[in-house]
Amino acid sequence: MARLEVRLTVLAAAFAMAFALLLVRAAQVQLAQGAVYARRATRQRTDSVALPAPRGALYDRNGVPLAVTQESFHVGIAPGELLTPDADRSLISRALGIPENQLRRDFRQPWVYYHGTFTSAQVHPLRRIRGVHLLSEFGRFYPDPDLAAALLGRPAADGRPASGIERVFDSLLTGRPGRGVEIRDGRGRVYESPSRRDAFPVAGHDIWLTIDAAVQEIVETVLREAVARYGADGGDVVVLAPHTGEILAAMSLRADGRRTSGVFTSVFEPGSTAKIFAAAALLDLGLVGLSDSVYGEGGRWVLPYRVLEDDHELDFDWMTLEQAIRVSSNIGTVKFASRLEPAERFRFLRAFGFGTPTGVEFPSESRGILKRPENWSGTTATALSIGYEVAVTPLQLALAYAAIANDGVMLRPRLVREIRDAGGSVVYDMRPEPIRRAVSRDVALRLRGMLRSVTAQGGTGATAALSVYEVAGKTGTARVAGPGGYVAGSHIAVFASLFPAEDPQLAMVVKLENPAGTYATLTAAPLTRLMLEQILGAQTGALDRSRLPRRVAPPARVAAPPVRGATRIVVAWPGSGTRPVGGTRVVPEVVGLTLRAALSRVHDAGLRARVDGWGRVTRVDPSSGDSLPPGTIVRLVAQETR
Amino acid sequence: MFVLWLVFLLGVLAWVTTRQTASVVLAAKLREMRSDRSAAEAEKSALQRRIREATGLSVLVPRAESLGLRLPDDSEIIILQVPVPDTR
Repeated sequence: MARLEVRLTVLAAAFAMAFALLLVRAAQVQLAQGAVYARRATRQRTDSVALPAPRGALYDRNGVPLAVTQESFHVGIAPGELLTPDADRSLISRALGIPENQLRRDFRQPWVYYHGTFTSAQVHPLRRIRGVHLLSEFGRFYPDPDLAAALLGRPAADGRPASGIERVFDSLLTGRPGRGVEIRDGRGRVYESPSRRDAFPVAGHDIWLTIDAAVQEIVETVLREAVARYGADGGDVVVLAPHTGEILAAMSLRADGRRTSGVFTSVFEPGSTAKIFAAAALLDLGLVGLSDSVYGEGGRWVLPYRVLEDDHELDFDWMTLEQAIRVSSNIGTVKFASRLEPAERFRFLRAFGFGTPTGVEFPSESRGILKRPENWSGTTATALSIGYEVAVTPLQLALAYAAIANDGVMLRPRLVREIRDAGGSVVYDMRPEPIRRAVSRDVALRLRGMLRSVTAQGGTGATAALSVYEVAGKTGTARVAGPGGYVAGSHIAVFASLFPAEDPQLAMVVKLENPAGTYATLTAAPLTRLMLEQILGAQTGALDRSRLPRRVAPPARVAAPPVRGATRIVVAWPGSGTRPVGGTRVVPEVVGLTLRAALSRVHDAGLRARVDGWGRVTRVDPSSGDSLPPGTIVRLVAQETR
Repeated sequence: MFVLWLVFLLGVLAWVTTRQTASVVLAAKLREMRSDRSAAEAEKSALQRRIREATGLSVLVPRAESLGLRLPDDSEIIILQVPVPDTR
């Protein structure tokens, strides 16, 4: 009995000791090492992950997306985990566009990885399949991959933007990544924990560019066709809004199809397109009178250092400055420009922005070349007058012409119209930024008059003329300099233009390198007309059509002001080739007709129409039955009928 | 007393478990909705690209020309301005 008690006591003591040990261990685990175990448990159940922030989007001036960020996926598959291999394989094949035979071969491996990338829509049906593992990342998506590609820029091999707007505004476009916690359940499934975020990801800023997608598309399409048609080595086009400095379209194309940023970075001698700047200096300094004229030397003038020739047949021996510009006379321009001192020439060329960067928001912009007078050779003064020994980018040339359109004020060119943060607040709103006044308002007006004469009958730019709206511009055909001097047979054809000629809304430079046909008159000028015609017909807000003054066919019998409160409808004159010229036209009976029917009758009669009001025609001026010269404007007054 | 405590303990455990289950279900729903939205955005982008391609000049012009149409010159373009109601 006593032995039993001893045994029980020993057993109780053993239990007590074990319990005490257990308590001590529990206390050690809970109190001393509790924090360590708690952290380990948390690590097993949760993951702290970086939450990527989407990159900001790029839009055109009208909100058309040019570059957006999208989630894209790489797909990993563990064939052994598939619950219904045959059905799953078929679904994966359809979703990812991978042939089933290939999948069958691939699935012999324990793990298959398809880099893709695949869109969210593609992988959507695969999300519920056990054994399919999706690895997501944000990727850049260009809705129209070719549109303004060089301007927007593209990522380099490491994924970082290498060029263009994407590079310049990388710090703004890049968002701020966040950190969050993912919870893993007992079966290894991962859930995001919305309540446990160390930092929320913040998307990058969205940028609205000044580019107009419709104009850019026209420019790209026409230039691509032109480079092929003229067999040119390449071409550049830039279109600006002269009163704001906004770049509406920019495109540089090589013959092999490469798109470059040449509008901003490649320089060329502007040739005769620079003659207008010599004229600007002469007029602004008052060195040329309206009736001043110089002798044309019969088209060939031998100077000590070179022989100057005029390529175009002249029907006059003596010429005024305006005539010299209109027919692009080298001799006339050089003779007039000889009245300028070197410092004056330099000052005016610099005032128009040559030899200095424009400050556009684009990387690696070229400043062009303009030597200071102390570095000039004996031929520089003569050469500068006709656009040689000075090198400009297409953008610089367009800006200088835009200054003429903008009453002589140079503006800083802009590529960015607006920037908004992730919350939609506007953090930058573009305002026109005047740089300097290049010439006075009066001189700018006279220069525009000269440029208008270039596209008139007999001018070198007549091939750019539209039949209804007036274009102002200047042709230039310049030889191309090589390492050993000018390359024989190598030319650049340029046409710099303002549209419309009165109160211009577009400043455009079209340049072709080595086009068949050589002269800008035959290449760049008609190309400009083609682009303008398409821009006129395009759905774009780049042109305020209500402000487009039409070329008025003389004599304009009616020039009545619009009825107050009514809307003026601008109606174009049908193609000149479709109507006989000469004779008179009878104003048709249109009172009581709808506007559409009335316009149709007026056009059929060979007259033009200006509409005041809306609805049915109540009055026509001049009256029905009157005889008028073809093309005369007839005023139709319309009112809504109830 | 013991039974009361047991019931209380079980009740608390059930409440915690229910909340946890609900949150996991919600997280799964959230993930699903996010993937739905992502898929819809991808679809929208793909459709936008197709629309841009289909309405692009390089597609439309040849098609129009095959129908005997052509790009107008400026004299054939009629510009109409939509009437603006007088707000006064």
